Amino acid sequence: MPAYYLEVIVVVLGLTLLLVEAFVPLGDRRSLAWLAALGIGVVLCLSFLVSTPEQAEETGRFSALYATDGLALFYKRIALLTTLLVLLMSADYRKILHQYTDPERPQSQAGLGEFFTLPVFACAGLMWMASATDLISIFVSLEAVTMTFYVLVAFMRRNVGSLEAGVKYLILGALSTGFLVYGITWLYGITGQTELSAISEVLKEGAVSKTAALFAFALILVALGFKVGAVPFQFWIPDVYQGAPTPITAFLSVGSKAAGFVVLLRVSEPFIASELISSNVITILTVVAGATLVYGNLAAIPQNNFKRLLAFSSISHAGFLLMALASTPAGGAISQFSISPVSAISFYLAAYLFMTLLAFLVMTLVRTQRGGESIDSFRGLAKTSPFLALTLLIAMMSLAGVPLTAGFIGKFYVFLLAVNQHHYWLVALGVVGAAAGFYYYLKVVRAMYWEAPEDTSAPAIEVSMPTKIALILLIVAVFIFGLDPAPLML
Amino acid sequence: MTALFYFFAFVMLAGGLGVVLTRSPVTSAFSMVVSFLGLAALFIMLHAYLIGTLQILVYAGAIMVLFLFIIMLLDLKAEEDRKISLFTVIGGALLVSVFASQIIKVVKALPAAAEAMPELSASASEDVKNTGLLMFTDYVFPLQIIGVLLLVATVGVIVLSKKELK
Repeated sequence: MPAYYLEVIVVVLGLTLLLVEAFVPLGDRRSLAWLAALGIGVVLCLSFLVSTPEQAEETGRFSALYATDGLALFYKRIALLTTLLVLLMSADYRKILHQYTDPERPQSQAGLGEFFTLPVFACAGLMWMASATDLISIFVSLEAVTMTFYVLVAFMRRNVGSLEAGVKYLILGALSTGFLVYGITWLYGITGQTELSAISEVLKEGAVSKTAALFAFALILVALGFKVGAVPFQFWIPDVYQGAPTPITAFLSVGSKAAGFVVLLRVSEPFIASELISSNVITILTVVAGATLVYGNLAAIPQNNFKRLLAFSSISHAGFLLMALASTPAGGAISQFSISPVSAISFYLAAYLFMTLLAFLVMTLVRTQRGGESIDSFRGLAKTSPFLALTLLIAMMSLAGVPLTAGFIGKFYVFLLAVNQHHYWLVALGVVGAAAGFYYYLKVVRAMYWEAPEDTSAPAIEVSMPTKIALILLIVAVFIFGLDPAPLML
Repeated sequence: MTALFYFFAFVMLAGGLGVVLTRSPVTSAFSMVVSFLGLAALFIMLHAYLIGTLQILVYAGAIMVLFLFIIMLLDLKAEEDRKISLFTVIGGALLVSVFASQIIKVVKALPAAAEAMPELSASASEDVKNTGLLMFTDYVFPLQIIGVLLLVATVGVIVLSKKELK
């Protein structure tokens, strides 16, 4: 089966859901979410049946626009898994969503169908991004994803926070799109190509203006830095993450970031491989990575809102990922290590998916049943719901990077790469950042285990069966890949 | 030709400044039309007839009518005087000057900046046909993605703006 069938199936699934929502009278529209999750799960299984390029040779323009390599498949699976879990979360989030879409009628299910369908289209966009190897397909798929997120972020339209987040995301997103298009124009102008492989060849020959090539790279980095949340393009992250519906925050922080990184990997590869500008590009990336590490970790320390805390944590993880990218050997040749920056980044993102979605799943439950997102809402969780507290404990340990968890292995590879490339300043900043991480992640753990609950008579938090299964599988993944990372290495 | 270029570039920039600086929404919208017209003229001077025409038809025509409709229906009043903090002004000016100096530096470093524009071949002037062919053959894949994008945008607009959801 060719790889592009996957996206086709996902889009058809989205269309079907829209039609079902319109024409089939449903008692409980959450069944749409289960249906969507089921469909996405099937596609995830199908992605393992995709034939590799050796088996099915494709020719023509399409293969230049669309890659079917291992990297693309890996990030397609990340997108699918994220969407699957986000859909489960969305079904749990129904109660809160309803308060802000149709507060007058308590039994209505207004807008739920769209809330479950749009992530499916976003998933298709993320999968296209994973395969995009031409500036045009990169731009178009990126826009398709961003457009979906504009809507989803502002979905709780009677909530001022959500609307503010939507407007902020829209304006800054449009600005970053402008930078992306301008950068693409420059790159096309100096190389005459839109295919990344062709651009790579032109840049390798070195017959282009160095200043212009760097300018193009800087412009594209601004746009992609915005998508992945790199300093100084991170302004939008805390407010948008806090204002958006929690499942969408999770989607943004995992799906959007992972797809942003695969595009960044593909786009920066020709620049790093070119001897002409390689060292300058590495310097730019190093500076951005250092700034992101410092800002993300230090600004996370004083946070009292758990969602905002995770927003800053997402910036700090972007810092570690950029640190790996900045540690690409000049000229792109990987000889002396056993690991390439691409596999380090991919493993880190997969680990980040497990632990972050674990945290967001628990947060969605606490938000819907205890009504708050501040760290205080988690006080005494260990007494009322020991399973959820344990789950969050594992997520926080992994995010902080405690050994035996997937988060530790991810950080270990990043530091290994940086040390091998003698980026000692970055290593120092990374160590400080990781240490700060222990403080702010464990703040939540302290609230759960050492503080008395706000309301002792509060009933235990109910966990639905699909969510429980998802939580257990994610916990298992965090430990399995923390012990043996090999299956996730590209 | 050079004089014409500077003229249209000036019209475009003046229109752009008008959008930002005027307080009345209607004046802003009309400044935008002026800016788009200047841009369209620049495209036509570069022999990009299709894009030039589309710029006028779609932006100066359709989108502007939409803008004016919204202004009319919402009865937008002129913006009140805002306090603009010194910090914003300095920050903005700094960003703009850094960016402008970068562009000047890059343009100066480019060897092609001094060369004259090459003459176009006869087939290149059929740009409607060429664009159409490219879009529906080589680039049909991005075109499909745009289809999904438009669908999502339509669904999104309805969900976000409908008075009472069902």
